[in-house]
Amino acid sequence: MADPAPVTPAPPAEVTLRGGDLAWRPVSPALTRVRLITLGAVLALPLLATVALAVLLTPWLWLGTLALLLVGAWAAWLVARQVSAISWVELDEEIVIRKGRMFRSLVSVPYGRLQYVDIQSGPLARGHGIASCEIHTASPESGGSLPGLPVAEAEALRARLAARGEAQRAGL
Amino acid sequence: MSEPARQPSGEWQRLHPLSPLLRGGVVLLAILGYAASQIFDDLLSSAGFGSFISGPDDGDDGGGGGGDPIEQAMAHPLYALLGLVVFLGAIAAVNWVSWRYSRFRVGGGQVELRQGFLFRQHRQVRLERVQAVELSRPLLARALGLARVVVQSAGGSDSTLTLSFLDLGRAEALREHLLDLAGRTDEAALRAGVDLPAGGAVTAPPDAGWRPGAVLPTVLQVPNGRLFVGTILHGSTIFLGALVAFGLVGAGVRSVGPLALAGIPALLPVALGIAVNRVKELLTHGNFHLADAGTGVRVQEGLTDLRATTIPIHRIQALELVQPLWWRPLRWWRIRVNVAGSGGGGDGESQRETTLLPVGTLDDALRVLALVAPGVPAAAWGDAVLGDGPQPGWQGQGAGARWLDPLSWRRNGWADVSSAVLLRTGRLTRRAVAVPHARIQSLTVRQGWLESRLGLATVHVVPAPGPVTPVLAHLDVAPAEHFLALVSDRARAARRRSEVVRTPLAPDPPGLVDWTRHPQGTPEPERQ
Repeated sequence: MADPAPVTPAPPAEVTLRGGDLAWRPVSPALTRVRLITLGAVLALPLLATVALAVLLTPWLWLGTLALLLVGAWAAWLVARQVSAISWVELDEEIVIRKGRMFRSLVSVPYGRLQYVDIQSGPLARGHGIASCEIHTASPESGGSLPGLPVAEAEALRARLAARGEAQRAGL
Repeated sequence: MSEPARQPSGEWQRLHPLSPLLRGGVVLLAILGYAASQIFDDLLSSAGFGSFISGPDDGDDGGGGGGDPIEQAMAHPLYALLGLVVFLGAIAAVNWVSWRYSRFRVGGGQVELRQGFLFRQHRQVRLERVQAVELSRPLLARALGLARVVVQSAGGSDSTLTLSFLDLGRAEALREHLLDLAGRTDEAALRAGVDLPAGGAVTAPPDAGWRPGAVLPTVLQVPNGRLFVGTILHGSTIFLGALVAFGLVGAGVRSVGPLALAGIPALLPVALGIAVNRVKELLTHGNFHLADAGTGVRVQEGLTDLRATTIPIHRIQALELVQPLWWRPLRWWRIRVNVAGSGGGGDGESQRETTLLPVGTLDDALRVLALVAPGVPAAAWGDAVLGDGPQPGWQGQGAGARWLDPLSWRRNGWADVSSAVLLRTGRLTRRAVAVPHARIQSLTVRQGWLESRLGLATVHVVPAPGPVTPVLAHLDVAPAEHFLALVSDRARAARRRSEVVRTPLAPDPPGLVDWTRHPQGTPEPERQ
């Protein structure tokens, strides 16, 4: 492989897939709770069904309950890891969002390309005081979404993004 | 509302009176034709000619007709005629209202269209947001000397402003006018490769090519014969051909023979589907003709439905030069581009105008590219399309990628040229993609589980949507991060350059309409 050409003005700190020395900010731990509650709600019904059937029909169905519990535990572990892997940083001209451990992704959206910003929160998320912030550019595939920001922070982020987007706005 | 003023821009103008009829189009003609023939038949039969045809059992006729009220009503020629007249009158009235309530105007830095009587619509597109202007002439409109003007702006699924129909001369004049105005935007000077003076106002470029009536210099034409061969040489047809050949060979062998023969009917719908697809492609790109329109290119194409699209060069978001495997012996290439607003969805209708060269030699392709991507030197394109292995300026995949890209790992790579980033991929289907730095919407790095094991990552350069998706898979992680840093930096610089001279074309017109003003072309800055 050829030698990489030198980057002309070396940026102060490189944005890297695994984080690095930028001031990455995590999302609220409340997101873990919200996702766990959702997971629990999804699993509750089949769990109840297996329990009821095990009591009524055959004790072998306890195996099903056990399997569901195992799946639930695994999913819960996954949720915790996923949420802890989401982080973001606001650079001078871009916002960078990092996600995932097994399947990592890093999206870098320049403020000047912002078309609009969505803030959404369902009843459950609102109960836990968080909202998700979605960033849209002219390309539907390039938007970044940032789930689980405390509501006040989401609002502040939206305002900051809008202001910077306006200041650095670039034509299409 | 005053009478339609034709010439002075800024005034509300009407569309061609025949347009609603034409929009209803063929369906209406078919219905009318059918109705007319039915009534004519009835007239003939009730005038006494029927008795010759139906012969001796004429007496049963009244009883037979009694069962069906419509037939009963139609039995009398006057009723039938009356029905036809009412029907025609209703259509005429609807058309008249529709025509009467559709008006457009160009002025105050925007194009506006108001239409609808019950459900009114008012759409406006700011001229600096115009992405491309297209003139299309469906067969029927062509017969009547009419044309449709489609103004494309960036936006969601439905971001075009369609003026259908105008008579051809007026449509052309309107197009020239729009492009003339829209062409004076900030980046027109990029064409000449001139850096914009910092803070300096940009004067209108000498776009002599856009004067009405001027003949644009032709850059290239695609002969229909070559297009035909190129269209036939497609993955689907090759596959079908191989299947048929296999069947024929099989039919020779006794044991497989009946099986092969039985497979033929099953193949028919597939073959039909492929044929329709290919013919459509051929009809779309027939008579392909590309001309230099000063600060843009004009594509004229179509065997039956003509369309002429003019794309300002600075509206091209990404370019792709592809050589499918089947074209390799003939050394043909295809160029497609992303233009914001022409839709990236699977809809063939909206993807047509994004082909800048349906099939052509490398020389043709380079000629087009020199026009539409002036920032990329021809040598770089040469490396991008045919290059392989380590080359100066090119960086590629590491050896770790050879497990995932056994054929092409030495070829896949990227280069950063003066004003764009180039990606080259594929050994069987060769592909070279260029995204101008100033058009990069965002950058993404992804790493799947397997890539993570192998220490690889995939980079996406995301332009506005279209047929071109610039992706470079399986780079080593550190070079991928380096790519991200470098391209972000270039994009940053390009954005700053294009930021300098962003002044609105004209001040907003005062008190334009009594409606709430929501420029369609400008997206809402934020939404909650």
